[in-house]
Amino acid sequence: MRKNYLSLLLLLVACCCGTAFAQQLTISGKVTGAEDNFALPGVSVIVKGTTTGVTTGADGMYQINVPNAEATLLFRFLGYAPKEVQVGNQNVINVQLNADNKQLQEVVVTALGIERSERSLGYATQQVEGENLTLTKEQNVIGSLAGKVAGVQITGSSGASMGGTQKIKIRGVNSLNGEDEPLIVVDGTPISNANFAESAGVDYGNLAQDINPEDVESINVLKGPAASALYGIRGQYGVIMITTKKGSRGQKNITVQLNSAVSVERVGNLMPYQNMYGGGSSQTWRTLANGEKYVDMQVDESWGPKMDGTMVRQIFSFYPQDPEYGKLTPFVPHPDNIKDYYETGYNINNGVTISGGNEGTNFRLSLNDTRIEGVEPNTWLDRNNLGLSLGTDIAKNLTATANLTYAYTNAQRPGQGSEDGSRYLGQWFQRSLDLKRLENYQYPDGTYLHWNLRRSYASSGTLSNFTPLYWNNPYFEAYENTSNDRRDRLFGNVGLSYTVLEGLKVSGFIRSDMYTQSIESRTAFGGKDLPRYYVGKFQNREFNYEFLGQYNKTFGDFSLNANVGANLFDRRYTYLSQNTEGGLTAEGFYNIDASIDRPTTNSYLLRKELRSMYAMASVGYKDTYFIDASIRNDRSSALPKNNNSYWYPSVSASMVFSELIGWTPLSFGKVRVSYAQAGSDLDVYSTSATYQVGTVYSGPQTVNTLYVPDVLNNPDIKPSFAHSYEAGLDLRFLNGRLGLDLTYYKQRNKNQIIELDVSGTSGYSSAIINAGLIENKGIEAVLSATPVQTENFSWNSVFNLSRNRNKIVELYPGVDVLTHGTAYYSSTYSYLNSYSGKAYGSLIGQAYQRDEATGKILLDSNNLPLYTSATHDFGTVLPDMTGGMQNTFNYKNFSLSAMIDYQVGGQFFSRSKMLAVRTGLDPLTVEMNDNGKNVRDPLSEGGGVKVEGISAETGAEVTAYVDPQRYYGVAARRIYEDWLYDASYVKLREARLGYTFSKSEMSWLPVKSANLAIIARNPLMIWQDAPKGLDPSELSTGSQAIGWYESGQLPTVRSYGINLNVTF
Amino acid sequence: MKKLFYILIACFFLASCDDFDEDINVNPNRPSDATAMQLIGNSQLSLPGLSSSPNGEFLAQYLSETQYVNASLYPVTSTSFYSLYQGPLMNLEYVLTRPELVKEKDGPAANQLAVAKIMKAYYFWHITDRWGDVPFAEALQGTENLTPKYDTQEAIYNAMFALLKEANSQIVAGSISGDIMYNGDMEKWRKLANTLRMLMALRLSEVNAAKAQEEFNQALSAGIMASNADNFIFKHQANADNQNYWYGQIDPNGLGREWWALSQTLVENMKPYNDPRLPVYGNPTRATGEYVGLPSGETKDMDTEKYSLLGNAIWKQDAPVYLVTYAEALFAKAEAAKRGWISGGETEAEANYTMAIRQSMAQWVGNAAAADAFLMEPGIAYTPANGLEQIATQRWVHLFMHGYEAWAEWRRTGYPDNLIAPNGVNVPTRQIYVETEKFNNTENYNEAVQRQFGGDDGLYGKLWWDK
Repeated sequence: MRKNYLSLLLLLVACCCGTAFAQQLTISGKVTGAEDNFALPGVSVIVKGTTTGVTTGADGMYQINVPNAEATLLFRFLGYAPKEVQVGNQNVINVQLNADNKQLQEVVVTALGIERSERSLGYATQQVEGENLTLTKEQNVIGSLAGKVAGVQITGSSGASMGGTQKIKIRGVNSLNGEDEPLIVVDGTPISNANFAESAGVDYGNLAQDINPEDVESINVLKGPAASALYGIRGQYGVIMITTKKGSRGQKNITVQLNSAVSVERVGNLMPYQNMYGGGSSQTWRTLANGEKYVDMQVDESWGPKMDGTMVRQIFSFYPQDPEYGKLTPFVPHPDNIKDYYETGYNINNGVTISGGNEGTNFRLSLNDTRIEGVEPNTWLDRNNLGLSLGTDIAKNLTATANLTYAYTNAQRPGQGSEDGSRYLGQWFQRSLDLKRLENYQYPDGTYLHWNLRRSYASSGTLSNFTPLYWNNPYFEAYENTSNDRRDRLFGNVGLSYTVLEGLKVSGFIRSDMYTQSIESRTAFGGKDLPRYYVGKFQNREFNYEFLGQYNKTFGDFSLNANVGANLFDRRYTYLSQNTEGGLTAEGFYNIDASIDRPTTNSYLLRKELRSMYAMASVGYKDTYFIDASIRNDRSSALPKNNNSYWYPSVSASMVFSELIGWTPLSFGKVRVSYAQAGSDLDVYSTSATYQVGTVYSGPQTVNTLYVPDVLNNPDIKPSFAHSYEAGLDLRFLNGRLGLDLTYYKQRNKNQIIELDVSGTSGYSSAIINAGLIENKGIEAVLSATPVQTENFSWNSVFNLSRNRNKIVELYPGVDVLTHGTAYYSSTYSYLNSYSGKAYGSLIGQAYQRDEATGKILLDSNNLPLYTSATHDFGTVLPDMTGGMQNTFNYKNFSLSAMIDYQVGGQFFSRSKMLAVRTGLDPLTVEMNDNGKNVRDPLSEGGGVKVEGISAETGAEVTAYVDPQRYYGVAARRIYEDWLYDASYVKLREARLGYTFSKSEMSWLPVKSANLAIIARNPLMIWQDAPKGLDPSELSTGSQAIGWYESGQLPTVRSYGINLNVTF
Repeated sequence: MKKLFYILIACFFLASCDDFDEDINVNPNRPSDATAMQLIGNSQLSLPGLSSSPNGEFLAQYLSETQYVNASLYPVTSTSFYSLYQGPLMNLEYVLTRPELVKEKDGPAANQLAVAKIMKAYYFWHITDRWGDVPFAEALQGTENLTPKYDTQEAIYNAMFALLKEANSQIVAGSISGDIMYNGDMEKWRKLANTLRMLMALRLSEVNAAKAQEEFNQALSAGIMASNADNFIFKHQANADNQNYWYGQIDPNGLGREWWALSQTLVENMKPYNDPRLPVYGNPTRATGEYVGLPSGETKDMDTEKYSLLGNAIWKQDAPVYLVTYAEALFAKAEAAKRGWISGGETEAEANYTMAIRQSMAQWVGNAAAADAFLMEPGIAYTPANGLEQIATQRWVHLFMHGYEAWAEWRRTGYPDNLIAPNGVNVPTRQIYVETEKFNNTENYNEAVQRQFGGDDGLYGKLWWDK
């Protein structure tokens, strides 16, 4: 079936070729500024009345094909007055543009890659130029958007994962499951942004990181249905439109660019720890039969004796292979024992691009190589990107284009989340342990050194069992229990476009995104767990076959832009994963073949098709009034067969009122309004009932069992719909020195497809239903200014801010709670719930029981705090405001850029902090009480945690001192109230100080230009409300849709380096 | 040329209008069809879970915790019954309500349905005795009813009696295939149905003795278990897929958790009488080679070297799980005779008590004769004056590791009487409903809690039969 479309499409385009006999002319030239005669790069050159267009290269050169001598070229550039030149008999047309801020015209890439002038748009878009994405060589394109676009919230993860998850949300949470990620489109090709990580474990990151940031010309964010309605069933959550760099046409010219960056990475923002008391559960020493004191190796907490230099038997003294075997060593603190574990990381990035073209061809070839040594021991990542972009006229009026990107990633990354990998060090640990001593984790005879072993019976002083109890040596984890991931990916498109007649162009594209992701993990012999090997291979193949007809025409004062298109989406995704069971047969042999029991195997196939047709038209009057309308029809194979076709309309209007009022200080003013609908699909195979394969029982007869799944599928499901309303105002003052864009929006997301948790007594845990109405209202403001502009010095500043209010208007009849996440730890539940009538995502957990009258906490007979059940609502996790600020200062050849992003509000639970307190690692557990005594001192001597409250039994006010271990055994285990933190922060995310060498400085070199810069990523958290050691800007952990439960977050990585760009 | 162009465009649009492949949205990763016996087989895989649970062992005080002492201190937390509904009970409901799943090639349809009914009754018995009133009649109906009403425990008992009665009467000649528990032997299923009915009847001794006696006798005359060969046992296998729960927990190749020691309560009830089962139930301590129990809820002195850890035979990979046993039936008969529900008086009571202990020995140590000396021990030899206590206590010893059942019988009889209140916390008399019912099934949940416990969904509410 699919092949038919392919051949049909080719035939269609080939047929167009046949008509390509008309005469065609090639024009080239250079565009310069009238004032200084400097070359103007990025000027849009359009054959008037058509969509044929190119942009000028870095040297201001362009080359374009025009149908005939009557054609008129239109030159447009932001801040300059457009200029029209009739071709006539000229072959070379050099143009000078006059600066004219009145005519702020920008061509932006809108849905389906249709280029439009910004002034004609009836909705907000915000474009980020490529150079702003690579300021400090952030590797993940999504991550580099942080703070740069109003209404776009990026929640990242620690750099220690080397390309870990970067979550993106546009205009708040728009789906009840929180999985409302926008569609990522590169040069018109939708690509996968899947994530293979789970919320704990290795964070493989989101797949959009395969885009080479150096290839990105610009990113335009379509913030929701108004802008993305043309993506129909894929457009509900907005679209990130990425346009890559292309070579420029013109007289034969080749540009070679080299780009190198070397950064050093160090962990920062580690939690503070106490350094007074060491490992153990009691301050009383345990003794061997011979009277020697020893450190309790069975306890993974630090409630032990004071680290006062007492000579004791430490863990090493129990290993006969150890030089300290049987010896006493001083029991002293190791203040940097966790810091010491981290290494200095390196990030080396080298790229080369060759671009250029001639009259009929343009090309760009890029190659990028990234090597990272992580801050966690034995972690690394290598990535190679190869990009190719080609455009060539294969006949008159017929252009062939190809954009292809190949990315290869190979990594060994650390575990994160909960107590994965080394993450327990800040959660369950002994402050007295010398980590440097653990680094050589294997003795020459092959025995592994661990620190957490079953306690010897005090009679002998000899351990009988060297298998670790709860935790492996962290170095053993790092070097033996490794996890590797590898991905080959190819995405891009090939297309033909044919100008049928002036203003009418038809194009056909075949777009594809293919990847193979391999993941393997090893659990070695000699650790606490059964040896194991896992290997999985995940393959995705997506094709889009696309047809697009575009028509542009001007009739007197009216202009028309009309588009009609169709798209076929075809996806095939498979995986095969295997896990050994019952252990491995041979040490060091990691292979499924080594499985002692029958290995677990999963194989999976997903197929999906979408068939779409769409049309859109924009009518302009006097380049001042614009009205747009679009419609799309989508049919999805995932929807019920008899009801799978839905329509998605949009309308918008705008008026450039500055044209009408003619007030000089106002260079440009536009009002805009729009209404649109877009949708989102559901997972395949959710409409019909199936069974699941159960365990096979081999007794007297082999019984192959099946069971009824816990999720109830729904044969009547519909796609979910978003209705969005938007109004905005764009203003430019003083020839563009000051600009303000304001947008108000309201998005109502109806009929969400959700897995509603139902009472298990119905026989199911959840049911797939259409339900709910979730509403987001908000404002976005972008303020741009050039406060200073002199000959040698300029200061540009862009500040953006967005405020979003979210409300769950309704859930499902009879249901007013929806649980998004559940955490169960130490017999204590906490949840992320949504309630109808409230904002999405309330944190629910156990709080202090309080006296109603006074608000004081209630205490039990032991003066320990009483707590509620896990039903206390601590409020939403969503932030009130997010945004960022970018400042660029240019002084002569120096340029300084700094990117700050911020968040106001939002909150999260921190299990890391809670556990650090519970296990006696945190300084809180050794603080002085108001008796001037350490809280760990005996109660009889004035020690203890001061507790003030009201006795639940007697109602009397109580002030008492309680043993900290007992107190935090309740307060840092059962009660989440104290471990809930505001997620507000202001962060200096990126800083770059660059120097551009002047031509005179380099005249002796065959170099066109060169720039050397000092770069810093994540250099400083300027302010955060949460305590040190937690990073509220890096709460994304793998697949967790919304960051609400911090546990074992990897430490923040600060990176400093130099970056050299040379153009030949 | 132009025409061709428009025709092609038209074709493209039309092509995008035709239907998708017939099977594109049919899930290739999961089976679309199942047979009743495959579903029953899966329900049987959940049976050992009714017994293999640390919480059950703590409630019956068979085991004490040697690490992270928490659950044995009976914290106020909810316990979920969802997995039982979503798992085995939903499979059984499919079998009972979708006749097309029942395939005659697997044996007579009536027999497959009878097995489903017996298992349904057995699962619900377990559930209602832990939590009290639970959804029954309106449960398991999927979208038809996402918020089922809670039925009273009395109604559930009546329904279970009815299910078991129906099962007994509908069984026909002919075995069934795909049966993990009895390998298709329908006579054993019939005996199980009647034994269950008898044991359920006994549970009502304090709340409705007349009804209890009537059901007991009807069940008895319908034919109960007659030997240990009739025992309802889940036979674990020596492979990772079907291994004993405790093996995965304790074995050094698994989690290697030495977290459980025999309780002091248990050792007190066995060691003084030289109970031959003690060396099976537990291991001698590594420190002294003696059998030493750890007091429930002890939080200070719990060195694993000093106490008897759970016996190797109990947690070996293929150690069986005893769910309903002949010895239990005999203890029930002994109690019924003592109560005068069946004829024979003390003589019959003693005979059944003695026989029960012999069968228990046969079951646990593989040798009924091991009971000979044991039965001579003072305190063990039957004395009519202490008859009820002796029967109940020995039943408790016999039910070792089947904690939930033993806990139910302890609540009914009050024996053994040496269960302690660890850290001052009494042994609960029920479990708290799963917390999410408050959100998902609010009205019915509130009504049930109000009706039974005056609104307090706690650990100390008394079930209907617990008087």
